[in-house]
Amino acid sequence: MSGSKQRAAVIGVGQTKYASTRGDVSLAGLVREAAYRALEMAGKQWSDIDAVVIGKAPDFFEGIMMPEIYLAEALGCVGKPILRVHTAGSVGGSTAVVATSLVQAGIHGTVLTLGFEKQSESNAMWALSLPSPFTTSINAGAGGYFSPIIRRYMEYSGAPELIGCMVALKDRQHALNNPYAHVQDHELTFDKVVESPMLWDPIRYSETCPSSDGACAMVLTDETGAEAHDGAVAWIHGTAMRSEANNYGGRNVVSPKASEDCAADVFAQAGITNPREQIDAVEMYVPFSWYEPMWLESLGFAEKGEGWRMVESGATKHEGGDLPVNCSGGVLSTNPIGASGMIRFAEAALQVMGEAGAHQVDGAKTAFGHAYGGGAQYYAMWVVGAEKP
Amino acid sequence: MVESTSDGVLRAPLTLEYPFTRTTGPVVGGFLTGLREGMVLGAKRADGTVLCPPLEYDPISSDPLTELVEVGQSGTVTTWTWNGEPRAQQPFDQPFAWAMITLDGADTPMLHGVFVDGPEAMSTGMRVSLQWKEEREGHIADIAGFVPEEAS
Repeated sequence: MSGSKQRAAVIGVGQTKYASTRGDVSLAGLVREAAYRALEMAGKQWSDIDAVVIGKAPDFFEGIMMPEIYLAEALGCVGKPILRVHTAGSVGGSTAVVATSLVQAGIHGTVLTLGFEKQSESNAMWALSLPSPFTTSINAGAGGYFSPIIRRYMEYSGAPELIGCMVALKDRQHALNNPYAHVQDHELTFDKVVESPMLWDPIRYSETCPSSDGACAMVLTDETGAEAHDGAVAWIHGTAMRSEANNYGGRNVVSPKASEDCAADVFAQAGITNPREQIDAVEMYVPFSWYEPMWLESLGFAEKGEGWRMVESGATKHEGGDLPVNCSGGVLSTNPIGASGMIRFAEAALQVMGEAGAHQVDGAKTAFGHAYGGGAQYYAMWVVGAEKP
Repeated sequence: MVESTSDGVLRAPLTLEYPFTRTTGPVVGGFLTGLREGMVLGAKRADGTVLCPPLEYDPISSDPLTELVEVGQSGTVTTWTWNGEPRAQQPFDQPFAWAMITLDGADTPMLHGVFVDGPEAMSTGMRVSLQWKEEREGHIADIAGFVPEEAS
């Protein structure tokens, strides 16, 4: 901890069941479900919450401008401050970081933070491929943007061609241990992953995230609140955010500087000098399978060019791995965009609280939550621990 | 398509279009289904007051509002403004009043159109009655509009 920051902790996590279409609930009903479950776990009432910090992907994904205003009643936030955070796909993580900062600054004692998306109400894939005057629209979507970057990684690292398929199978198998996860495919095999249609060479359909409806919420509180809490606590050991432009000369697109700087910052705050040794569980933002080895390197869990070897050796598997990555099933199994970053942060918290159920990493004491967004431009990260920092 | 103009400024059209859908949920969905069936439903709060159109969560307590009750099809204008020259995208093509109308049995007003000959026929406190469309689909426009009560 630096400066005069106060300690902050997670005392409640709530998630909706994730699905391609949550046709049973409105947007308000969706966020309410996650928020209510977070309050329940925290043992709090709406009246105990001092402020709400909410994030989602851009408004045009659902076509409701400033939805946080319409959602205030569903979130018990009438007459209280509500703050919206905007950082594209990393927003769920950034939202949790902003909420943390309000507690650390002593501005609010107990904060509800929430991320959501109802992808069934729009088409986010093509919303990201806006036509623009005086240019040719290639209408490639997110996968079209990231596939050449992944190709660059494969060439630079010499990774075998099917590493991405190994990640995809692992995360889908992890998802079977998480009842909230969207994709639940008990019949999936490695061969099926490999034989899946090539969407954006080298990215197969099976190596991409789904489109999901869902919301994820957390209750954060200060040191006094956390010590008084009768239940599991995840102490926040460090938070960091970084951004950079998505197109400038000399940019390292495989391992952007903002990613490396953000990781260095958050690990320094948490006193982590050897991430692979000191972190027990990782929840990393991997919407396309190859981003697992790429982020392992960028974040410092593996040497440059070696991240794929961790995947190949099974080091990132829940069963038998020394650095389990995305035991919840990750973004590859659940992707309500605005919530996806917060799910990573919340799942990291659940691991150190010992509340991750069937996907619990035994004895996890320190966990890492990670989100990225835009053209791999926006980063948010946190380290949480079972022990007070 | 780019066109070059005499002032040397390049111009190109840009049309942005997204299809959106809505899951209305049990409360707003219940209200819309009611309209299709020819009834107007409001949400009953813990103190017995009725919000119409209904909200899913109480605007003061944030409690879920789950009890839908039928309200009347006549009501009182609480305020209004005259629209003498409707534009193409407005919901009515004849002159009308935008009015806030509190239906009998409801405690909050809804926005809709009142059809009278001119603004001199409008007044706050006037009584109006709802007129249904023949074909209804579960949409606020299933209510064709309101007319003065004595004329209905």
